[in-house]
Amino acid sequence: MVIDDSRAMRMILKRIVTKLNFEAVEAGDGKEAMDLLADMTEVPELALIDWNMPNMNGLEFVTKVRADPRLREMTLVMVTTESEQSQIVRALAAGAHEYVIKPFTEGAMIEKLALLGLVPTGANS
Amino acid sequence: MSVEVEVDESDLAEMVEQVWESYLDPEGVSPLIPTYDENQPSEVHSSVSITGSWSGHVVYASSRAAAQRAAAAFLAMELEEVSEEDISDTLGELANIVGGNVKAMLPPGAQLSLPQVVLAPEASARFPNTERISGVYGMWEGEPVSISMWQSSTDNKEEGA
Repeated sequence: MVIDDSRAMRMILKRIVTKLNFEAVEAGDGKEAMDLLADMTEVPELALIDWNMPNMNGLEFVTKVRADPRLREMTLVMVTTESEQSQIVRALAAGAHEYVIKPFTEGAMIEKLALLGLVPTGANS
Repeated sequence: MSVEVEVDESDLAEMVEQVWESYLDPEGVSPLIPTYDENQPSEVHSSVSITGSWSGHVVYASSRAAAQRAAAAFLAMELEEVSEEDISDTLGELANIVGGNVKAMLPPGAQLSLPQVVLAPEASARFPNTERISGVYGMWEGEPVSISMWQSSTDNKEEGA
């Protein structure tokens, strides 16, 4: 699941995760993502989450996901320009597993997902 | 509150280079070439406001052709396929990324707005009581691109206090 109010950024992230054999579902903000999750029979393995979004921002979304036992298995990765140490700590404390700061290269994103055990063997080659 | 800001042209240039490497020129064949021309024309622009520990705007401006090329790069499309919506969305995300990175160079406690996109020259922007304090100006494949910082006037703040 790719959650970002920018369609351009969703396209970039979608291209990356599709290369890793994920099926990508898109949402334009945290609220839209929660609505989609409510309707899904199968919980996504991974969510890439922007911070600055209208309606429901990334931090609020992470907090809501962590409050829902059904969504317990989702790996949550913040993908944002927000790089203030106190804010990163806040996101990780709220339940995000990892943090990627924009701008990022495709290689850097794949490397981060590999650290989380989400990249199949040989996907980088 | 008046904060001394230490984000200069080289800081901006380094960050802009990262944006080009990550999204606009990953093969390293067409970088942004500096012109240092503060008055170069633009046809479209996007901006984010920063408030809190520093007050002002970060503006990304370019020719329409450069914006179209940026959208094609972001969205993995052919130039001819790029729509106005594609251009707007890409400009918004560029302002968000550039502005977010500028915020990271400011003292803690700054907040970033959502981006504003205007398909009109930067000169048409209405940023009352601001002055340009830093900027990167260049040509990308022969088309003008700029990133600039505009600080809100402290005089205005003092009057309001």
